[in-house]
Amino acid sequence: MKAFQWWWGILLAFSLLAASRVFLPLPFVNEVVIFSIYTMGCSFLLGRVGFISFGQPAYLAVGAYATAFYLFYFGTNPYIGILLGLLAGVVVSFIVGPLFVRLRSDYFALVNLALAVIVFYLMQKVLADITHGDNGLWFLTNIASTPLLDLSRPNHFFVFAFLVALALWAFYKYLDDSIYGACCLATKINEDKLRFLGYSNYSVRLLAFVIANTTTALAGAMYAVYLGFVSPEMSSPSRAADPVIVTILGGVGTLYGPIVGAFAYTGMKDVISKYIGNWELFIGFLLVFIMLAGEKGIWGTLQPRLEKLFFRKRATTVDGSADSGEARR
Amino acid sequence: MDTQLLISGVIFGLSIGSIFFLMAIGLSLCFGLMRIISLDQMLYYSIGGYITYSLSLATGSVWLGALGGLVVAGIAAFTVERLVFRRIYERELTFSMITSFGILIGGIGIIKFFWGVVPRPVPVPIETQIGILGTDVPAYRLVVVGVAALVYIGIWLFLNRTITGKAIRAGIEDVEHVEGLGINVSRLFTITFIIAGSLSGLAGGLHAPLIMVDPTMGLEVLAFVFMVVIIGGLGSIKGTLVSAFIVGQVVSIGSLIYAPLAQMAPFTIMLLILLIKPTGLYGSALLKR
Repeated sequence: MKAFQWWWGILLAFSLLAASRVFLPLPFVNEVVIFSIYTMGCSFLLGRVGFISFGQPAYLAVGAYATAFYLFYFGTNPYIGILLGLLAGVVVSFIVGPLFVRLRSDYFALVNLALAVIVFYLMQKVLADITHGDNGLWFLTNIASTPLLDLSRPNHFFVFAFLVALALWAFYKYLDDSIYGACCLATKINEDKLRFLGYSNYSVRLLAFVIANTTTALAGAMYAVYLGFVSPEMSSPSRAADPVIVTILGGVGTLYGPIVGAFAYTGMKDVISKYIGNWELFIGFLLVFIMLAGEKGIWGTLQPRLEKLFFRKRATTVDGSADSGEARR
Repeated sequence: MDTQLLISGVIFGLSIGSIFFLMAIGLSLCFGLMRIISLDQMLYYSIGGYITYSLSLATGSVWLGALGGLVVAGIAAFTVERLVFRRIYERELTFSMITSFGILIGGIGIIKFFWGVVPRPVPVPIETQIGILGTDVPAYRLVVVGVAALVYIGIWLFLNRTITGKAIRAGIEDVEHVEGLGINVSRLFTITFIIAGSLSGLAGGLHAPLIMVDPTMGLEVLAFVFMVVIIGGLGSIKGTLVSAFIVGQVVSIGSLIYAPLAQMAPFTIMLLILLIKPTGLYGSALLKR
């Protein structure tokens, strides 16, 4: 019965997303889907493992540039490009992960920010010969059309991105219910107890770090294929907090959070910057408000109400405590 | 590399390091006493810069502007502390980080609302050059270094010679004991936060003539200031001074050797230091939480 409810939830969320394709412009929905993939990793790190990372753009850029290099210099098949971006994400996370996950959560946030800055200048200045610096790499015309799902066409790309998001969502759902997911939560709440149980905090965190940042790199690879161009702007430190904001906006540690957050964030960015023009003001104070009002985010607030509405049962999942990561279990 | 270039590089590094030091000291104090990471210090820095711009335009004196920046940033810090931080001291560290980032972003929005997005130049108050070992060095940069040195002495005297300062130092060791002694910890927090905000405002005011003020100036220094705090160790004033000096010199000398090094080298050094000593140079591992 419980499993049925989850799948019902998945179907509802994703059919809403698919339906929005009909009413909303295609670039907007594509942006939302990729952004939600981008946020999933950050949400997992923040909500499940208790690591806040201000350096997600670094991994985004790693994935994007790996894809871009392949498509610009070597091949034309976008699928291989995305696969390479994914691989680059795995490799980079395995290189920096062992160093980073030993740090405390506050230092972790800041070394990640440092990594984002390093990647930014690496792409902008040091490797300017192959990355073309600020001009970026343009390879939209290099992307070959593939049978079945032609990624060079935005409407086909949407289907692809949508399927990827669905698969990732199911993957994170599976992680959440596995013993490993419980370990992640335990390392967030009480690492000593996890050690007593015979698990290694280090390896749990390392695996979480690799999973999350590979997801982010995948989002980067998809951005590269979708836009057909990459520039160092992607890993610019001033955009470092975007995924964190979206995570908070959607609801920390909730599974639908990234989708809801990405939808709300992209929508607000579009609407507010069009009509008011000063959207930092709005988003900043919204962030403060959400944090002060119990940091449950949009989805965290809606969830108990929806459950009440649809399942006619007492909402017990979100107990209003500070720890919404725990609440969702 | 010839000596002249080196000397001007060292002076440049010292002045940049002084600015970083002024901002990092506030962050460090806030972390030490209240256990918050206050990213909104970058906002007070921007406010300091913009007030300096406006006042120097109105009165013609940059010094008056920097002083005004200090005061206004202090008032802004007081307001934010009362409205927001008061409610979140008990929460975990990441919580204050996200909330203060929200304040920073929102504050940038307010700055854009009042002053627009165009970068504004601030005149340099002292145009004279001073010769050091046969090299002409802008006097203003030396003044900046001097102000930072004065602030360090002032903070040292404040923390070691006054009751409030001693209470703050004791609070960094153990807040509950200080509270148990009958000291109003809540007022202590407010005082510390105002000091931190004012120093950031002063840093913005002093830095404004060296760069142009623009709404995102806070985000540009954010990474560097954090690097200073991390290398020095969160919560340590002495560590902040040492690491501000190191970072300033690395930025300046690094850019003389190979331009892209200026931005990357400090981060590489930070990663190395954290790997060898995860709490920073002077950070103590004893800090709770």
